[in-house]
This record gives sequence, structure tokens and C-alpha cells, in this order.
Amino acid sequence: MTEQNLVEVRNLKKWFPVQKSFIERLVTRQRQFVRAVDGVDFDIRRGEVFGLAGESGSGKTTTGRAILRLEKPTSGSVWFEGENISDVNGEALRLKRQRMQVIFQDPYASLNPRMSVGDAIGHSLEIFGMAKGIEKRTRVMSMMERVGLTPMAPLYEKFPHQLSGGQRQRAVMARALIMHPDLIVADEPIAMADVSVRALLLQLMMDLKEEFDLTYLFITHDLATAKYICDRIAVMYLGKIVEMGTLQQVYSDPKHPYTQALLAAVPVPDPKARRTTPMPRGEIPSSITPPPGCRFHPRCPIAEEICSQEIPPLEPKAGQEEHLAACHLVK
Amino acid sequence: MSEPVLQIRSLSVDYPTRAGLVRAADDVNLTVFRGEVLGLVGESGCGKSTLGMAILRLLRPPGKIVGGEIVFDEHDLLKLDDEEMRQLRGVRISMIFQDPMTCLNPLQRVSEHIVETIRTHQPKVSEEEARKQAADLIDRLGITTERMDDYPHQLSGGMRQRVMIGLALALNADLIIADEPTTSLDVIVEAQFLDLLRDLQHQFNLTIMLITHNIGVVAELADRVAVMYAGKLVELADVFPLFDAPLHPYTQGLLKSVPNIRLKEDHLQIMDGSPPDLINPPSGCKFHPRCSHVMDRCRTEEPLLRETQSGHWTACWLYE
Repeated sequence: MTEQNLVEVRNLKKWFPVQKSFIERLVTRQRQFVRAVDGVDFDIRRGEVFGLAGESGSGKTTTGRAILRLEKPTSGSVWFEGENISDVNGEALRLKRQRMQVIFQDPYASLNPRMSVGDAIGHSLEIFGMAKGIEKRTRVMSMMERVGLTPMAPLYEKFPHQLSGGQRQRAVMARALIMHPDLIVADEPIAMADVSVRALLLQLMMDLKEEFDLTYLFITHDLATAKYICDRIAVMYLGKIVEMGTLQQVYSDPKHPYTQALLAAVPVPDPKARRTTPMPRGEIPSSITPPPGCRFHPRCPIAEEICSQEIPPLEPKAGQEEHLAACHLVK
Repeated sequence: MSEPVLQIRSLSVDYPTRAGLVRAADDVNLTVFRGEVLGLVGESGCGKSTLGMAILRLLRPPGKIVGGEIVFDEHDLLKLDDEEMRQLRGVRISMIFQDPMTCLNPLQRVSEHIVETIRTHQPKVSEEEARKQAADLIDRLGITTERMDDYPHQLSGGMRQRVMIGLALALNADLIIADEPTTSLDVIVEAQFLDLLRDLQHQFNLTIMLITHNIGVVAELADRVAVMYAGKLVELADVFPLFDAPLHPYTQGLLKSVPNIRLKEDHLQIMDGSPPDLINPPSGCKFHPRCSHVMDRCRTEEPLLRETQSGHWTACWLYE
């Protein structure tokens, strides 16, 4: 583990057993699995925004959950600050979790409707026995000020339904930051926000990152938004990373045919830039029985025989150490 | 220009709530012409879906049309009785919603659904002939014909949305109202669906009212664009001039805050403030508290939608 990496993910797999009826289980002995995450490796460096992009079913959210240890990996490991957290349990895990916080897509769903905003923000201080009473209130108020949740005193007593969407997202940020975490896993944090609020939230996330020395794992399906926040990005397809590099490398010179298609598919707010690149056929296949070889080969416009036989390794392309792609045909 | 299919005149919709009256659509005038894709954009709560539902007379209570008329095929839809409206809805005016699962009968195979639709519309067509037409249609939608006897839950979201388009085609609808049709789809499936919709639109000269918050989708598909803010239509123009040189300050701000993957710039412009509370809307122009060009007049008098340039309509005092 090098000093600069906050998180290291090594050959991480998370398979979920497929639920079957009792009779089916008697008839077929073979158990089936959804291979949500099927062997991914990456590092998140201290102080960076690492993007994890992909369509639904690509495994990006499960990867995030495995890093938070909300899922126990089927195999492989997740290292956080030099410690393997994939089989830490109990009190040790609880303490680790102070260092990492999460923000979800829907701030309304992640706030307790019966708890006032101030109490929700300060809840973890109480849980971890760090502050209560006046002390808690003071710390919550100061955090509210820093995330721009003002005026603090009246908002402290408000309930989630009395806040605007932007204020709720700020409350969720404040709650995450009050533990002074090192890592924030943001899973589609702004997908529900309107266009004008979206820009504001991105700016807030960037400002807070500077102020609190944060590292973000930014999980998103929206490549257009990722462009404004990520330093490095990994693109996932059917449980595997197909391409990884700096934002600049991946966006201006995508190597993997899937990344190329994904970038071309994003609707552009300019009628003169109407898309001309043909789209790959079909849709993401089932992750219970993923295609052999390269998982993208049945939809790939340039696939050759080898693609259906051998799994391509994720390796540096075009002589650039940091720009990796998993494709047999790209040099 | 071609003939109008739908004319909305001075339409207003109210939602009485416990906290007060919300005017969700306020004196909206809008015409949809045959063979065009009219994009209706705005942020959540601006009234765009209310407008779509009002056309279909499917407003959820307590929502109520309180004024204006909606002229379709020379009839005011607001004067039809429920039965006449039912005959029209889904037949001459088709709908596509965000979640196609809510529109398809879960107990009916896709093929049965389409066959039934064809035969309701053309009672003379035999079962067999209708099945052939359905197969043809399904093929045209890019779904392999072996999937046509599947139930809706067996299809992916993208395929279900294709089936919805297929039903509109089978009926030969005069107008398709598509409310956030791609919002639940993944980006590649969305692109495939938009490609299909564009092809079919050209091929059959479809008339589509495309309601969406996604500016990119509108740029991709629409011929004309209407922008709504706080229940008001604030700008209406052909897609190219609207994106090249938007006139209303709200449209300008909105377009600048949309992420664009093709541009090099690395931060987004932020529009100050947030949409108003419609129970206590601002006086005068509803955008004035957020507008950087605000003048005294804007605070007291409400601007009307006027043709400030040929074919380009704006509701803003700047262009008086």
C-alpha cells in the first residue's frame, strides 16, 4: 500500500445467489449467482475525486457498497488506510466506518422524517459518544454554517419535509461531514436535482472537498456531470472495469469500444451536435450468465474471434501507464 | 407551415391545496403542427406535465382546468363528454409515459396487446392479418419477433418503451404526447430509442409533443421548443435559434447550466435562486427575483408572450 492511496480494491467480487423456489432447488442442484461485481481492481488516491461510471446493472453501486462494507465481498479485498476491511467485523468495523460516509441520490429518503434536521446531523456524534447536549448543538450549528444551511437556528428545528431539495442535500452533506471522514462515497448524489440546482450542488461538493480535505468516490451514470467533478474515472460494464484513466484521457481518447459508445450516447444540449455514431446493438446481457471472453463482444462493432474466447486484461494502452483498457484489439 | 393538430388557448390549471391555490399552468397558448416534434422543457414544478395531462383531461384531482380551450380536430376537448373523450384518448391522441410498465397490461402478451389495438381501430382486419401486422410492427421497432409473445415484465425498459411507440403507430395516432419517455432508460438504450423515434417520425410524419426536463433530448429530437417557468410559457422558437440565441433570461441561464460533454470548460454556470413557491408567486414577471436584467416594470407588470423576432416568441420586457 502506497501512502498516496486511501483505498485499494483488489480483485473484488460480489456475487448474489439467485433466489429459487423450493421445487426448483430440488430439481436443479446447481446454484446460480448474479455476478454484480466480478473482479475489479482500482485505487482511490488521497484528495482525488474518483468516478465510477456505468449503466444500471454494471456493478458500480455494489462496488461502492463493498468499499463501505455494506456488502461483504464474495472474494477479493478492500484496503482502507492500509488495513484490509473486507473481513473486519464488530467494533473495529464500526470505528472504520467513522472514516467513511455516504451520500445517496435521494436526500429525502435518507433523512428520518421524524427527526429534526439538527438532530439528524448530530445523530452520529451521539452514537459515537463524541458530543451531546449543548456541545452537540454547537458543533451541528457550526457545520450547518459551513455547508450553507442558513439561517441555522430556525433550520435546526425544521423537519425534512419543510426544507427545499437543495437544503436537504446540504443537510445530508452536513451529516456526512460532521464525523470529519476521509472518504465520501457519493452514489448519484445529484441525479434527482433539477438542472439549476445541480450546478450548485456540484460547486458545493467541490468547495467542501477543499475545506475538509476530502476524497470522493463519485458513482454516476451521467458522464456529462462526471466531467465537471472527477479527476480520474473508471467505466464499468457487467461487473468489470473496461477502461480507467484520468478524465482527460478517457474523455478525449476513449480506447474501449464500450466507452466510445457510452460517451457518444450522451445527449448534447446543442441541436447542431446531433449524434452520428451508431449505437451498439441490444442491451446489457444478464449478469447471471455473462458472455464468455470479453463481456462486451456480442454488442461490439469490432469484435473478432479472440474476443469471445479470452477475457481481455485491464492493461495500459497507447504507452500511457495510467490509461488502462480491457480490450484485445486496442493497442 | 402545415396545419395545426392541437391548439391550446389561454389554458389555466389550478390545484387547490390546503396551503392555498397553486396555478400550475397560467394562460398558456401553444399550437402543435402536423409532422413536428414540439419539445416542452422546464424544471420540475414548472407545469409541463400538468399541460400534457390537461390535454388528455387526465389531471389528477384536485387539479382542475379553470379556463381556456384545447382545440383538437376542430373540437374543444374541454367540451366533450367523458365517453367522447375516452374514444379519443389513446386512439387519436397516444401517450408515452416515463414508466411504460404502468401503461401495459401485465396479463397480456405484447402481441395480444398490439393485435387487440389494431383490431379495435380497424374492426375489419382479421385476427390473422392483425397478427401479421403486429409482427411487422415489432420487427420495425427493433425487437426480435420471437419476443412478441412475451409478457411486459419479461421485456427490458427500452423494449417496453418501444412497444408503447408501436401501439401509437398501430393506431395511427394524430398526436403522441411523450412525457419523459427516456428518463428511466440507460444512456445507450436512450440513444437507441431516440434514433428509432426519429426514424419513425420521419417515416410516418408523426406529430409528437415531447415533454422533458432533459435539454439534451430536446436538442436531439425537437423541431420547435417551448420553455416553461412557474406555470408560464416564457419562450417558444425553432430549435436552432432557441439554442443559438435564447432571448428570455431564464432560457439563457438554463442552457448555460446544462452539463455538456462535448465542451472543454470545466465548471458550470450557476443560476441564482430557485423556482418560486406557486402558492405565493412573485408579482409581475415570475422570473424577476432571479433575473439579472430586472427592471422596475418587471416587478409590477407581467409580460405577455410576444413574437419578438420572426417565429421567436418571448415573454420578457427586455424586448418591448
